[in-house]
Amino acid sequence: MDKEKNTRLPLVDLIEVKPMQDGYRWVAITAMLFAIGIILHTVSPNVGGVTPNWTIAMYSIVINLTNPTLSQAVGIGFIAGITLVPSSKSAFPLGNIASELSGAITCCILVKAMLRCGLGKWKLRPLVTGFLATMASGGVFTFILKIVLGLPLHVWLYAMLPVVAIVGALNGMITFLLFGPVRKLFFVQEDDE
Amino acid sequence: MMESVIRLENFYFAYNKSELVLQDIDLEIKKGSFTVVAGPSGAGKTTLCKAMTGIVPFYMGGRYSGDVQVLGESTKGRRVSDIAMRVGLMLEDYESQLVSLTAGEEVAFSLLNHGFAPEEVAERTRKALEDVGLPGRESYQLDELSGGQRQRLLLAATLAVHPEIIVLDEPVSAMDPDGAHSLYELLYAIHQRYGTTIIVVEHRVDYLLPYVTDMVVLKEGQLVTADTFAAAARTMYEDEELRPLVPALWQVKLGVERRFGITLGEWRTEAEAAAELQLLGFEGGNA
Repeated sequence: MDKEKNTRLPLVDLIEVKPMQDGYRWVAITAMLFAIGIILHTVSPNVGGVTPNWTIAMYSIVINLTNPTLSQAVGIGFIAGITLVPSSKSAFPLGNIASELSGAITCCILVKAMLRCGLGKWKLRPLVTGFLATMASGGVFTFILKIVLGLPLHVWLYAMLPVVAIVGALNGMITFLLFGPVRKLFFVQEDDE
Repeated sequence: MMESVIRLENFYFAYNKSELVLQDIDLEIKKGSFTVVAGPSGAGKTTLCKAMTGIVPFYMGGRYSGDVQVLGESTKGRRVSDIAMRVGLMLEDYESQLVSLTAGEEVAFSLLNHGFAPEEVAERTRKALEDVGLPGRESYQLDELSGGQRQRLLLAATLAVHPEIIVLDEPVSAMDPDGAHSLYELLYAIHQRYGTTIIVVEHRVDYLLPYVTDMVVLKEGQLVTADTFAAAARTMYEDEELRPLVPALWQVKLGVERRFGITLGEWRTEAEAAAELQLLGFEGGNA
């Protein structure tokens, strides 16, 4: 057998092993992106009453990258909510915990569903999941506000949800644009999964 | 026969997206040896280092066949952090391994993670910093240390866990020759003092000529030779592609031996070479 051929076809069966490092890496990636998200959340200007929710964008990237279990996603959402409470200027800051839990769980379920449907390598996956996670999170948060402030349903439907949709679109774009570079940074030598 | 500390048996490895990086590697690293891993770029030297520390294939993932045994146990099923307590690793990009704010915290990091008592951590930290020539620097911020000092700090962190083997992947690639000589002198002193098995990936074997006992040579992912330095250097010299990797002094020695049909001593320094050549009547380039 010539050398070239030998390089490609060893006379042995190779055993495939999954990387063991993913055991804790999702925690490190989550922490790092959350930290970046909090800084950006603090410095981002408010344009026309709309500002991207960097925290949702960051955990959407994390969930798209690491495909965590549902319980891990609950952990991610809970931490995301906690980090937003101190800086929240809303009428009910604790609503962030419920809303981010909803957002992270939604994103996790969507990612799992897409992977199962063979859409794992779909380029728009981060955009769609980032948008829908923001819609879920924003929808829950504004609905809590509606209840706390006793607002009528049409205010929530026609005034609050459109703003959530705009923020969702912004977040979807951010998730889409940052997913590639972050993936490159953390997953240099591995397969798409 | 000398006891081996690392043994690779028919080891093949490929990263997930690559062709085979290592092929049919069969070798043993002798206990207490100072082994150099040499070979051209892309020969698989770094991957071999990672295989010796369990990072490849079980931590990074990939495809493999064969077995790697470290200190008598297969790396299969063992955690990298457990292997790290017996096999220290210094990567080429050593800065990426520094994780703390101060020198003391850096050395103590892995000890604390493995549950050592605070008094023992403090004592081992003090001793390790002393061993690498940074005594009393526990409270220094990392940015107060020079590049060379940070590299020695990482060596101290490796030494603090009292490893039986230290693997270094091109540790002097970003250093000037003085810094390189200084680091290898220090490494040799540690090797002599504690009997630690040292494995160094280095393509400039000249730096290590005074210290090397054994050599592993790779080419295109395959093992060319794993033998004593003298035997491996001869094998390399016979190969046109590998010849430039033979230390310059040994290229002269093997060239003279070939040309004049004589056998010279195992030169480790220029002084030894000059003395022997003068004794044999070689003078000022007029052989």
